[in-house]
Order: sequence, then structure tokens, then C-alpha cells
Amino acid sequence: MSVTGQVLRWTGLAVVGATVVLAVVLASRFGTDPGLVDSPLLGEPAPEFALAGLDGSEGVALSQLRGEVVVLNFFASWCLECREEHDDLVAASESFSDRDVTFVQIGYQEDPAESFAYLEEAGRSAATLYLADPGSRTAIAYGVFGIPETFFIDTEGTVVGKIIGEANALILGATIDAIIAGERPGQQITGDTRQQPDP
Amino acid sequence: MLALLGTAGVIAALIGSLLLVVRGMRLTRGMEADLKSPAGLVLAGALVAMAAMQIALLSDDFSLAYVANHHSVATPFPFDAATAWAALEGSIVLWGLVLAVFTWMTARRLGGGSDRLGAAAVMVMGGVAIFFFGLMITVANPFEVCVDALDIGCAGSSAWPFAAVDAPANGPGPNPLLQNHFLMAVHPPVLYVGYVGLTVPFAYAIGALALGTPGPEWLRRSHRSTLVAWSFLTLGIGLGGWWAYEVLSWGGYWAWDPVENASLMPWLAATAFIHSGLVQRRREMLQAWNFVLVIGAFALTILGTFLTRSGTINSVHSFTQSAIGPALLGFLVLVLVGSFTLFAMRSHLVASSPRIETFVSREGTFLVNNLLLTVYAFVVLIGTTYPLLLEAFTGTQVGVGEPFFNRLAVPLSFMLLLTMGFGPITPWRGAAPGLLWSRLRAPTVVALAAGLLVAVTVTRVGWVILAIVLGIFVIGVIVGLLLELAAARASRSGRPLLVEVRTVIGNDPPFWAGQVSHIGVVLVAIGIAFAANLPLHADVELAPGESVEFAGYILTYEAPFRRDEPNRAVEGARVIVHRDDRRVGTLEPRANFYPGVTGGIVTPAVMTRPDGDLYLTLRNLDTETVELGLDTSPMIWLVWLGGLTTATGGFWSLSARRRRQVIEPKPVLADV
Amino acid sequence: MSERVRNVLIVAVMAVMAIALTLLVSTRPADVDRVEEIGSRIKCPVCQGESIANSPSPMAEDMMDLVSERVAAGVPDQEIIDELLGSYTGAVLLDPPASGSTLVLWLAPIAALAVGVGVIWWWQRHPGAVGDPPAPPTERSRTRLVVGGVVLIFAFAGILVVASNSLQDRPAPASGAADLADQDLTEVSDETMEAVVAANADNPQVNGMRLALAERYFDAGDYRSAFPHYLEVAEDPDATAAEAITALVRLSWMAYDGNDEVETATRLVEEALAIDPNSTVALYVKARVRWCGAGETDEAVTIFETLLADPGVDPETRARIESDLELARDGEGCP
Repeated sequence: MSVTGQVLRWTGLAVVGATVVLAVVLASRFGTDPGLVDSPLLGEPAPEFALAGLDGSEGVALSQLRGEVVVLNFFASWCLECREEHDDLVAASESFSDRDVTFVQIGYQEDPAESFAYLEEAGRSAATLYLADPGSRTAIAYGVFGIPETFFIDTEGTVVGKIIGEANALILGATIDAIIAGERPGQQITGDTRQQPDP
Repeated sequence: MLALLGTAGVIAALIGSLLLVVRGMRLTRGMEADLKSPAGLVLAGALVAMAAMQIALLSDDFSLAYVANHHSVATPFPFDAATAWAALEGSIVLWGLVLAVFTWMTARRLGGGSDRLGAAAVMVMGGVAIFFFGLMITVANPFEVCVDALDIGCAGSSAWPFAAVDAPANGPGPNPLLQNHFLMAVHPPVLYVGYVGLTVPFAYAIGALALGTPGPEWLRRSHRSTLVAWSFLTLGIGLGGWWAYEVLSWGGYWAWDPVENASLMPWLAATAFIHSGLVQRRREMLQAWNFVLVIGAFALTILGTFLTRSGTINSVHSFTQSAIGPALLGFLVLVLVGSFTLFAMRSHLVASSPRIETFVSREGTFLVNNLLLTVYAFVVLIGTTYPLLLEAFTGTQVGVGEPFFNRLAVPLSFMLLLTMGFGPITPWRGAAPGLLWSRLRAPTVVALAAGLLVAVTVTRVGWVILAIVLGIFVIGVIVGLLLELAAARASRSGRPLLVEVRTVIGNDPPFWAGQVSHIGVVLVAIGIAFAANLPLHADVELAPGESVEFAGYILTYEAPFRRDEPNRAVEGARVIVHRDDRRVGTLEPRANFYPGVTGGIVTPAVMTRPDGDLYLTLRNLDTETVELGLDTSPMIWLVWLGGLTTATGGFWSLSARRRRQVIEPKPVLADV
Repeated sequence: MSERVRNVLIVAVMAVMAIALTLLVSTRPADVDRVEEIGSRIKCPVCQGESIANSPSPMAEDMMDLVSERVAAGVPDQEIIDELLGSYTGAVLLDPPASGSTLVLWLAPIAALAVGVGVIWWWQRHPGAVGDPPAPPTERSRTRLVVGGVVLIFAFAGILVVASNSLQDRPAPASGAADLADQDLTEVSDETMEAVVAANADNPQVNGMRLALAERYFDAGDYRSAFPHYLEVAEDPDATAAEAITALVRLSWMAYDGNDEVETATRLVEEALAIDPNSTVALYVKARVRWCGAGETDEAVTIFETLLADPGVDPETRARIESDLELARDGEGCP
């Protein structure tokens, strides 16, 4: 057979081999969700913010909370999962209030007045700080892809945990317990997040 | 009942496909076998299945789970009929139907008992049909009956047609984005004809390889189907872009979205294949390459389907993950592994072919064209699949989007434009040096002059000027060639030039149809250059009665409006448009609200004018003000016209037959 | 004029025009907008693949505002992009950087072009043997065909198997209230349990957790914290019999042991016995309360004897009852 013929033969077989390899690779991707990304903030110092309260009242800067474990949750009234996890956040905040753990909830992509009104209806924890985020700067700094997302910052100001999706009291508490014990729980995915409000 | 009918249709088609394969085997061994009846059975089965689906949709029969989950009583015609291909399972029915039609048409052309190549081709098509109808019976069954109804929609279904039916009273209706524009009803079928049509040349190629009889025969016989597929694919891609522009509120028409790329890759491969196929039919060269190309084109259609249906890549079109992904991947692997193994085994047969004498020849330009198109397709392929592969191998995540693709597509497109200018005027086998110069000089001068004119009067943006120069160059080359040939005939025959122009075209319609397609591509390129480089944008907030000046228009916000339609509520703003103190129209950018769907679907308002479109998008509407996004898309109508022209060239080429097989487009002396 | 002169003239005209054009054009639109340019390279994280420059969503607008601010402050392009990358990872880049894992993407097209050119050049240099008659399919090649077909089918099946296995490994969302009953609570802190219980107050399944929490407090001697939880369970109409009995018995004991309220303790334990007259723990506590609190030794003896007559009592409890019975019979006070 001519040289060309042999080259063609080996090229054909090479394509066959490459196809099989690629196919196995693609097949292994089936179980995973292509939309999920790992937060680059884990293990890094938490981005600083200084925000006012939802009703315009005096808020807080993150640096003022140094020394406490900070649970940072992004929410909005238009987010169904946020509504579902609301009671758990309130309960956990109350429960851990005397353990040097501070809950901070930041309104995301919503008029602060509307978030405030929602909290009037849904209830709030006296121990939680409810803050407004104009221009979504804090959400951008924390790389929020959708809500609800909850970040966990240890006493030294490092982001050590993140929950993507709806949280519940058990997972919140277990994560906080772990952080108090000095561990770094990392990122957990509990479910879907919402990205857009309904116009 | 309809579930039973539909399932019966699918089973009939499946049986027909199996018969095609089995009997085809006999035919290739030289025995007698009737392939036309099984092909007819496949077609009948597919028609029955589609009919069952359509009847169910049009009569609001919610006992079918697919109808229960995707159709709503309020959906108007033609969107209720189009719901048949609005979601996964139904679109496979459409695919099966188109495949059945192509298979039947291929079987009809069988040349009797000795036509082994035709039989092999029909066999391969039967094999593909087995896969798709098999999908319909297993993982993507569109005729499952609803056995557990919700208030709206279906919670559980069964593939057994006789299961106890629990049908809901209504369904959620198709995705609102699919009800916004009639184009959505038309675009998928057109695109599918393009995709599925590529099965025919693939089947012939595999047949030729399997039988060990390469040569131009398989090309010749599949050429028309290739043209049909290519033309419809062109049209489908154009329709998709136009729909995106008219409906989605980002003013763009191409985002290098994985699904869009999935349609572009086979198109590029098919375009290359049409050109290199010409070379093989004329000069018997590039045999091996043509096999590779047609297998690649077909594989790309399957890959495209896999990428968009399996959920492995997020995109605007993404269907959620389903079991169809592994099936499609498996089939793709089967196709590639089987075809290339066959190719490797027959490599000694396809290796022998003449070489080109010189690159300065029609064959040479086609080689360059193929190189460019293949690299183009490869770039799109790697850009689309790279994030997926990288994540699978290393876990890191990257994004590949518009900037990457544009960076490569733009130079490649310009190089292709240049090649389009050289190809038609370069004769087969080789050109005398003076010939090329004589054919190039006038178009070059004209093109440069046009560029200068545009630079001085309209804009100085480099990309636009380049597109104008190259575009006018190509058109100039074509017109120049036509006039040259006609003039040569006229000087000999004494007849008027225009008459001879018609004769020249009539002597070789496929060639001139191809030039029409080239002109279409030129128009698209120029349109894109203008629209991408010279648009204007502004965001404004207006109170009722307030006006704003934008791009030479005066836009006055008159009032908000609301109206209720059978399947949705529409809210928007009425804007009066003036230009040069004359009222030129009214635009109503709006948002459509569908029941059961959270959020409104924003629909832009578009006004088309000779110098481009005025494009208004609703950003926010409340009792006091309206927030609007204002855009212009200069010369965008050129893109749609160009797309239509490109497809027209393909269709024209189908309807015309060359009067004579000539090696070179020299004028023929004989009378008309 | 001659052909040559004319050609030279034409070339000269072309050259002039080309130079004029080159001088006239700019490579970028007149008002290149840095903000738009940067924005077109960042993917809107909450949209489906659109850039923040193109996307109409509010989040994209906010991000564009941020970019505008940075540009106005004179921050270089790459720094702005790096800032966003630091929050979101490379997945929001629409334009892959020319380094690291995406260097391949930049090199691949050039490589493809080079390979293509190389293939064409090589092909030109190696003409095939024109005129070779095609070899007929031999016996060996037929066997190979069959073997290949079988291998293919296995490969196909194998891939389907691998793929469907991965399909089943989809991560399940973390448990919600419905799975409270299955939780392993050994590692969880009191605060966490308090939070869970408070958050799930409406869910009857939380009683198990509530009791567990209350038990912790009870074991630690913190009756005050345990009390409200036991009370909740005792008053919950949806509590199971076992849960109610446990709660009532504990309440009874705490009433006696903590507050010396013998009548309350008696009443509570009799409520428990009303639910299940044979409850071992209720009977035992009643006996203790009557004996230790009210000094009713005979009543205690009767109950102890009833208890011992029940064969279902476990040996450890039985031993305790026996020793208590002896003491009671002897008329002594309880230890």
C-alpha cells in the first residue's frame, strides 16, 4: 500500500482512539451540574464592607465584627428559597447569639424598603444585622451567583465556609459548630439558587 | 387513543428501519430485496406519529404527558402546533419524520437489484433511523400517558399506552420565549431539514466505503441532498439569528452560544464539503478528504444535538439533563468509531488520486477554502467544548465566549471573502498568468474606490472599510466574469450583450447559483461589519410626554399601555418616533406576562429603515416613568437579506441542471 | 498606450488608493469605550452566557457601574478584571486569558492552520500510486469487520453503563425538616439543636429532636432549660404516645426533684399513666415520687411488686426495683 494509504489508515485509527477517550471523559460529566463554581474566596480574607441598615439606620462594617464568627447571608423577598430558610436563620441567630456569633443578612437586588417590609411580615431576629447593599457592590465582591447564598467568616476574618442554596437550622448550626471548633467546612451545595427577580 | 396511535407509528417506523437494514444486507450480497416498501413503512409510521402528536396538541388532549407538560389551552395557533417541537421528546419526533422523508426519497431512487451502493446507503439510513425511533420507544418517549395529574401539568407518566389515564385540565404551555414570535414555529423544522439532510451524503459515503467502491459515484448521487440540507441549514441559521434579534432583548443576533455553534459547525463542514466535492467530481481528487469531511459533518450534527440536549453545557437553549444524553453520546461514538474504522480499513482504496498541478487553479483555491473552513469549524468546536473538557480533566472552570470566537472568526471570514474573489475566476487545472490579472484589476480598483468613498462619507472604522473593499471585490469579480464571458459570446454571435448574459448563466446555472450564494455571504459580512462596529446606544428615563434625541431621531414617550391577549398580558410603553420633523412611526417596547410563569418576557420594538434599525427595549415601567434602552443597528437588514440570498443560491442550484459537463467555463461555440 | 504601461498605471492607481485608505482608517471605532470593552469580556453571572455589557439584567448593570467607577479612577483594565475574577473565578471570563489552562485555546487555531498547511504540502509531495486496482475484501478483512462490530457494540454498551452510573450520582440536596428523624445528633451542639427545634416548631417530627435536647439539659442538671421543651412535647397533640409519656415523666420528676411539688409531680405522672397504664418508667417514677415525696411506702411497695411481676422489665432496672422494694418493705425512707 502506498505511503498515503498507510498514513490515512493510521489517521483513521487515531481518530477512533481519541473519540473513545473523549467519550469516556464526557460520560463522566453527566452527573454534575455545569453551573456550579467553587468560590475563590474560601480561605481568603473576607472582603470588607460597610453598609447601612435596610431602613437607613446605622449599619456596621465587617471589620467591627472581627473576633466573632460572622454568618453572612444574601437574601431578597422575591426569592422563594430565601423565604423558606428565613425561620431557620432567625432561630439560629437567636440560638447562637450568646456564643460570639453574629448573623448578617444583606438584601440582594432589591429596593431596601421592600426587603424591610418583607422582614416586618416574616419576622426578624433581634440579634441579626439587616443591611442594604446599594449597587450590589458587596454581592459582587463576594461573587454571588444567585440567592440564597450564605458565607461563613471565622474570628480572624477569613472566609471558611459557604452554603449555596437554601440553608436550614441543622446545617447552619453544624457549620457554625465546626468553625467554633477551628475547622474549615468549605463549600456545600444544598439546592438551587435564584438569579433574577420577577419584574 | 392518541398515545396508542403515536406509539404504533413509532413501532411501525422502527420495524421499517430494521427491515431496511436486514433487506439492504441481502441486496448488497447480490440477492433480490425490496427496499421501497420498508422505506414507505418508515415514512408512514413517522407521519402517523407526528399526526398523533399534532392532533393531540390541536385538540387539547392532555392525556399525553408531553401535551400535559408543554401545551396549554390558551396557546394560540400556530404555537400550539409548534409545541410539537418545543421540547425534547417532541423534537425527536420531528427529527424522525424528516429522516423518514429523506430515507424514503433515497429509497425511491434505487436503481433496481444491482444498485448495491444505493442499497448500502439506504441501509445506513435505516440504521440511523433505528437509533432515533429507538430513542422514541425508550428514553425520549413522546407518547407517554399521564397517570398522575397535577392541577396544571403532569407529575407521572407511563409508557404503556393502555395505562389508566389521569389527565390534567390544562398544561403550563410552551416556554414563553417560544411563543413570542411566529419564527419560532418555523425555525426548528427548517433547521432539522438541514441537519437530517446531511445523513444522506453520509450514508452514501459509508456505503461506498463498506462496498469498497470509492469514486465519484457516491458524491454524484448524494449531491442534491447535500444541497438541500445545506440550503435549509443556511436558512435555519439565518432564521435563528433573526428570531434572536427580534425577540431576545439584547439586540444581538449571534452570541456564540453553544446551540448556535452547534448549527454553525455542520454548516461550515457542509460548505467545505460542497466545494471539495466539486473537486472530486471534476478532477477525481480529494477522495479521502471528502470521506473525512462528510463523516465529520454528520458527526457534528449528532454532537450538536448531544451538546444541546444533554445538559452538559449551559446555554439559552439548554434542556435539563435527561437520559437522552448518554444515548446520543453513545451513538456519536458509534458513528465516529465505526466510520473511521471503516475508513482505516479502506484507506488503500481512497489513497490513490491525482495531485493538483498548481495552486493557482480552481482546485487550489478550493483547497485554501477547505483549509479555512475546516480551521473555522475546528475553532468553533474547540471553543465550545473546551470548558467542558477542561473541567472534566482538571476541575478548573473557564468561560469561552464572544471575544474568543470573534477574534478568530473575523480574520477567517475576511480570508474566506478573499478566496471567494479568486475562486470563480481561476480556471480548473491552472491559470495563465495574464488571465488572472485581467480579471482582477478592474474589481480591485472598483473595490478600493468603494472603500475610499465609504471612508470619506460614512465611517472610517477599519473593519467596515475592509468588509466593503472585500465585498465589492467579490461582487466585482463575479459581475466582471459574467460580462467577460457574455461579451466574448456577443462578439462572436453578434447578439446583444444582455441576451448573451442570459445564455452564459443558462449554460451553467449551478455555477452562477453558487455565485449568488457568494454574494449573499458578502452581504452578510458587510451587514455584520456595520451593525457590529457602528451601533449607537443610550439608556434613558422618560416621563409621559417627554422626548429625547437619539441618533437623529426624536423619541417621545406618549403613555404606558396594557392589553390582555388569550395567552398572556402585555404591558409596555408607546413611543412616537420623529425624524427630520416628520413622524416616521410608533414603537411599543413591551413585556409579555404569561400565566404561571414568574417574570415578564421583554420584547423589543424594532423599526427597520434603509440605514438600519431603531431598537427599543423596555427596562422598567412604573406609573411615573419608563426606562428604555435605545439602540441602533446600522444596515442590519443586509444580514437578513444576505442570509436569504445565500440560501436562495443553494435552492436555485437544485432546480437547475448544467447543460453540459464542461471542464472549464469557456464559452461554448454551439448555438443555444 | 502599450499593455505594460497600462498595467503599471493601474497598479500605481491601486497602490495610491490602498495607501490612502490605510491612512484614512482607524482600527477602532472613534469613541472606544473602555468600559464597554471590559464589560464585553465579563460574563454576567446571573444570565445565560451574556456579557455584562450586553445583558439587560440589573446585576449586569451594577457590575458595569463598578467597572465604570474603576475605569474613571484610572485602574488598569487587567486589574479590574482580576478583581472580578477574585470574586467569581475564571468562569465569568468570556475571553480566556492567554496563559495557563487556556493557553491551549489560543494556540490551537494556529496549530490547526499549521497542521492543515502541512498536510496539504505533504499530500502534494506524496502522490498515491495511481492506477492501483482496489483489492477485493478478503477473508481476513471480513473477519476483522465482524470483530470490529462486536467490539463496537461492547464499547457502546460500556459507555452507556458508565454514563448511566454517573447519572445516578447526582448530589442530593441537604436534608430539610422532613429528615429530622434520621439525623445523627451526637456531634451537634446545643445551640444548633435549639435553632433547629425553634425553626421547625410546626413539624411534629421535631419532637424527637426536642426530647433529645431536653435530655441533654436534664442530664446536665439544667432543669430550667429542659423544662420548656418537655412541656412543648407534653402539650403537643401530635406527639406520639411514647414521646408524651417521656415528657410527662420527666416533667414529673423535675417538679418533684427540682421544686418539691409532690402534688404536681403526682398529677403529671398519672397523666402519663393515663396514656399507658403499663409504662414501666411512669410506674417507677410514680413509685419514687409517692415514696420519697409523700412518704407513701405501701403505695410504693405495691407499684414495685406490680413492676417486678412484669417479665418485660430489663435486668438492670429489675435489680434497682428489687433493692428499692426491699428498702420500702423495711419501712425506710428512700435513698
